[in-house]
Amino acid sequence: MPGVDHCLQEAMAIPGAVGASIVDYTTGFPVATTGSAPNADHDAAAAGTASVVQAATDRSMIVSAVPNDLLEDLIITTAGGYHLLRLVQTDFDSRLVLYVWLDRSLGNLAVARRRMQKLADELVAT
Amino acid sequence: MPSSTTAAPGRLLTQAAGERRTGALVVGGHPGGSVYLIEGMVAYAESPAAPGVGELLTASGRLAGRTWQAALDAGTSQAQVGRMLVDQGHLTQGELELCVLGATYDAAFFALSPASAPVDFLDGAVHWMGAVVRVDADALNRESRRRARMLDEILPDSRVDSAPVTPAARLPVGRVTLTALQWELLVHADGQRTPADLAQLLGRAGYATVQELRRMAAIGLLRAPVAGERAGPVRLTAVPTPDAAPPKPAATPPSPGAESRRRDPPRGTASPRRIPGSRSPDEPRAEVHAVAPLSPTGTLSPTGTTLGPTGTEPTGDTRPETTGPVQRPPRLARRKPGAGIPKDVAAEPPPPHGTDEVLLKRIRTALRALR
Repeated sequence: MPGVDHCLQEAMAIPGAVGASIVDYTTGFPVATTGSAPNADHDAAAAGTASVVQAATDRSMIVSAVPNDLLEDLIITTAGGYHLLRLVQTDFDSRLVLYVWLDRSLGNLAVARRRMQKLADELVAT
Repeated sequence: MPSSTTAAPGRLLTQAAGERRTGALVVGGHPGGSVYLIEGMVAYAESPAAPGVGELLTASGRLAGRTWQAALDAGTSQAQVGRMLVDQGHLTQGELELCVLGATYDAAFFALSPASAPVDFLDGAVHWMGAVVRVDADALNRESRRRARMLDEILPDSRVDSAPVTPAARLPVGRVTLTALQWELLVHADGQRTPADLAQLLGRAGYATVQELRRMAAIGLLRAPVAGERAGPVRLTAVPTPDAAPPKPAATPPSPGAESRRRDPPRGTASPRRIPGSRSPDEPRAEVHAVAPLSPTGTLSPTGTTLGPTGTEPTGDTRPETTGPVQRPPRLARRKPGAGIPKDVAAEPPPPHGTDEVLLKRIRTALRALR
């Protein structure tokens, strides 16, 4: 059965993946990490990831405009990379997001997004 | 033999981890908690202020109470409860790991944050959860300190973390936006429940609860904690301490049912009690306290802690000059000419049938939480 480490290994198998982590976005804490992080600092990357998710969930009018229209993922593109954030929906109380950093020239956004959706679902699916 | 010392729990944890010890670091005081080490790595932590894995899984409905209880009954003696839930197909490995990690960091924050507390180390004690995760003790210490700093950045008033939660009767702002968790907390805050009570009741992480409460206190959505109400957290934590510090390897875990049963008796004996939703004689006092967090330092004015129903008169004269347009003079001041409430009447506890009603409602809430 896939655990947290297995999930991150699979995330690193996504074409172009440079680094991956699972971040608690209440506290900006990286629960688990693997590979590289921007500026080689997983803690700082996690804090930044948390700010982005909170901006979208708490301070944006886009999210929750319709009941049960929950945030699924956030995609940030830069000139050199893709940063994908996929919310992990657990039944119990947790506020977790799966973060994968992709090299832009090697990665495929659509493929990566589909793979992350599957990973996040498998992590908590019965 | 455990030797009780008074020290910084975080430092002792680092020391025990450095010696690669196996056992439980039991932190006394309020809220206190225990951190379990296996060969120097943290495997689990628990605190009365943070819902454990069982509360998180059952309060959310992820597991039925009897499923959890069955796993406890079968796995406690071998300290295999976590693995048993996965082996029996109730949880995925990912869910279990994430839940245990979340609960561990959450409880460790409350157990390790005091600068000084009575600390015991129980050699060889193993938690019934078993070895699901391994967390570095230094990382846990660092994260606990970071979480404490983040709370102080929101509002440097740690009384909010333990005092009973009362929503402000009138707001110092014209409009507020709430997160879903803030709404949940406000809806369940009745002036009796402490943040720890709310976290356990709702199955929400203790730190997330405290974080939202500090945010709401910072913008004046909560009545400021009053000195007299400090009895609340003491009352709560004094009761669960025996369970929170299980001295035996196979200590019977607190089931969700035991949790709510354990918390109810102290409330049942508390008096006097307000009837939620009813207009009680001291309501105008709440308005005065609601504006207290507005002071620029973020701390409370000393008068806010001593004002009673009769003590609002002097502030009634000065308040309107110092506060914004939303503020109105306390209603009691206006009522004064004809119908001032005599002190003895105001202090009288509510009629007995009201108390029964509150108690019944509380039992109903507890039963619902069990599901």
